[in-house]
Amino acid sequence: MSMSSEPILQVSNLTKRFGNLVAVNNVSLQIPAGEIVGLIGPNGAGKTTFFNTITGLYTPDEGRVVFKGQDITGMPPHKICKLGMSRTFQVTKAFTEMTVEETVRVGAYNRHGEDDVMEKVDEVISFCGLEEIRHQKCGDLGLASLRRVELARAMATEPDLLLLDEAGAGLTAAELAELMEILRKLNREQSVTLCVVEHVMQMVMGLCERIFVLDAGELIAEGTPEEISNNPRVIEAYLGERAIR
Amino acid sequence: MDTVIQSLLNGALMGCVYALITLGLSLIFGVMNVVNFAHGDFVMLAMYFTFFIGSMWGVDAVFTPAVTFPLLFLVGVVAYYLIIDGTLRQKYVTQIAVTVGLMTFLRALTQLMWKAQPRALPYSLIQGSIHIAGYNIMLSRLISAGVSILAIGGVSLFLSRTWPGRAIRAASDDLDAASLMGVNYRWTYALAFGLGSALTAIAGGLLMTFQQVDPTMGVRFGLLSWCVLALAGLGSIPGLLISGVIVGAAEALSMSLWDPRARSLIVYLIFILVLWVRPRGLFGRK
Ligand SMILES: Nc1ncnc2c1ncn2[C@@H]1O[C@H](COP(=O)(O)OP(=O)(O)O)[C@@H](O)[C@H]1O
Ligand SMILES: [Mg+2]
Repeated sequence: MSMSSEPILQVSNLTKRFGNLVAVNNVSLQIPAGEIVGLIGPNGAGKTTFFNTITGLYTPDEGRVVFKGQDITGMPPHKICKLGMSRTFQVTKAFTEMTVEETVRVGAYNRHGEDDVMEKVDEVISFCGLEEIRHQKCGDLGLASLRRVELARAMATEPDLLLLDEAGAGLTAAELAELMEILRKLNREQSVTLCVVEHVMQMVMGLCERIFVLDAGELIAEGTPEEISNNPRVIEAYLGERAIR
Repeated sequence: MDTVIQSLLNGALMGCVYALITLGLSLIFGVMNVVNFAHGDFVMLAMYFTFFIGSMWGVDAVFTPAVTFPLLFLVGVVAYYLIIDGTLRQKYVTQIAVTVGLMTFLRALTQLMWKAQPRALPYSLIQGSIHIAGYNIMLSRLISAGVSILAIGGVSLFLSRTWPGRAIRAASDDLDAASLMGVNYRWTYALAFGLGSALTAIAGGLLMTFQQVDPTMGVRFGLLSWCVLALAGLGSIPGLLISGVIVGAAEALSMSLWDPRARSLIVYLIFILVLWVRPRGLFGRK
């Protein structure tokens, strides 16, 4: 499969260890600008660790991360965010003491000063459909709302690449459909490149043009949704999980 | 009965200053989770700075924060970058060792510069007292309480209404998430440490309008502020004020009804009792 455009993110030979455990093992991949790509794999495959290592929360043991042509390996998270990468978290990390509006505002300060920050906040809040809860405290929200607030907060930083860690987990089918609609719109209208880590296959298959598969820290496959769903190694890796579904 | 009410009044007013001191400690502990043993010594340092500037330039103590506030902010920021920053990812023991070291250093430094005898400034502008319903209220204490409450309100507004204030709150809520939204944690921590230390400048200036300073002040205010923080718990600024008033009143009562030397004992007692019965404090969120 040929690259349709310049990669926004180039990861080469990335390795992250926890003691003896190799959570991410020599992973190389490229994310083309403007696409929606998926990163899947069974539980414990290293998806979250991969995100943490790319966004600067962890320092990789080996390998390089190049974002928009710039080497960001080992750079602190706030600088990476300034360069245009943001994310949401699998275990939600909302600012519990702040209102939805204030939370989004913290993200919006990334590119805006006090004079025009509220315009951005209003825009993102309406884009994500958060008007009704904008004055509620994040600590009082349910999971579906929290996930959307996290998405809004990340969007408010105006990223070029947005990483979503299991943003669909724990959502109902209707909530999931809404979320997918927001993500498509974000990709189409604001040309934000998206990388979604998902456990929910339905979401990745319906959303992504290209899918990467991690298993036990290693990249075992890459391709279109059809290619991936017919790949014997992927089927094997997911066998246990499929049986449950 | 009259003595009781009189000392409750005095203590409550003093308690507002305690609350202001504790607000600084609470910023440092709440935001970066650093147990700062040196906080009381920052108060002492602030009082000595007040004495120094007051006696050198003949400035009244109430006005010295104009100079000591930025000065202590700077001391706080430098202390953060020089010694706290490197210990953040280390064990708790390392952090404690470092702030205890800072405490010892400040104590030794002040003793070296101002010797061990108590120092005081000449009478402040705000001397005298007013009489209400037979009770005697020292003007300096009344104004100190008022200014403390104003300063607490100011910090509260800063935290809730400004960009740096929001960054501080976001970082104290979830550091990883805040970093990935573009908040520079070292900068935020330095700001919190600087502001936390600078608040002692206001308290120090106020305290010097009606009392003297000596090298034991560090321990006293360290203990007091930890006691008030334990009683209040993290996260509630009005709770901090109420707790300051409670501790101040308890201290004053024990001094007038029992023995002036019992003041620290009562404070210790409250401290231990709170940690034992209600570890999250009266108004704490967790
Ligand atoms: N901070 C950590 N310390 C030690 N081990 C970790 C840490 N984070 C993740 N791991 C381990 O790394 C492996 C990959 O975890 P993770 O990245 O969370 O997988 P996934 O997100 O794909 O479910 C797991 O075996 C997990 O237990
Ligand atoms: Mg995960």
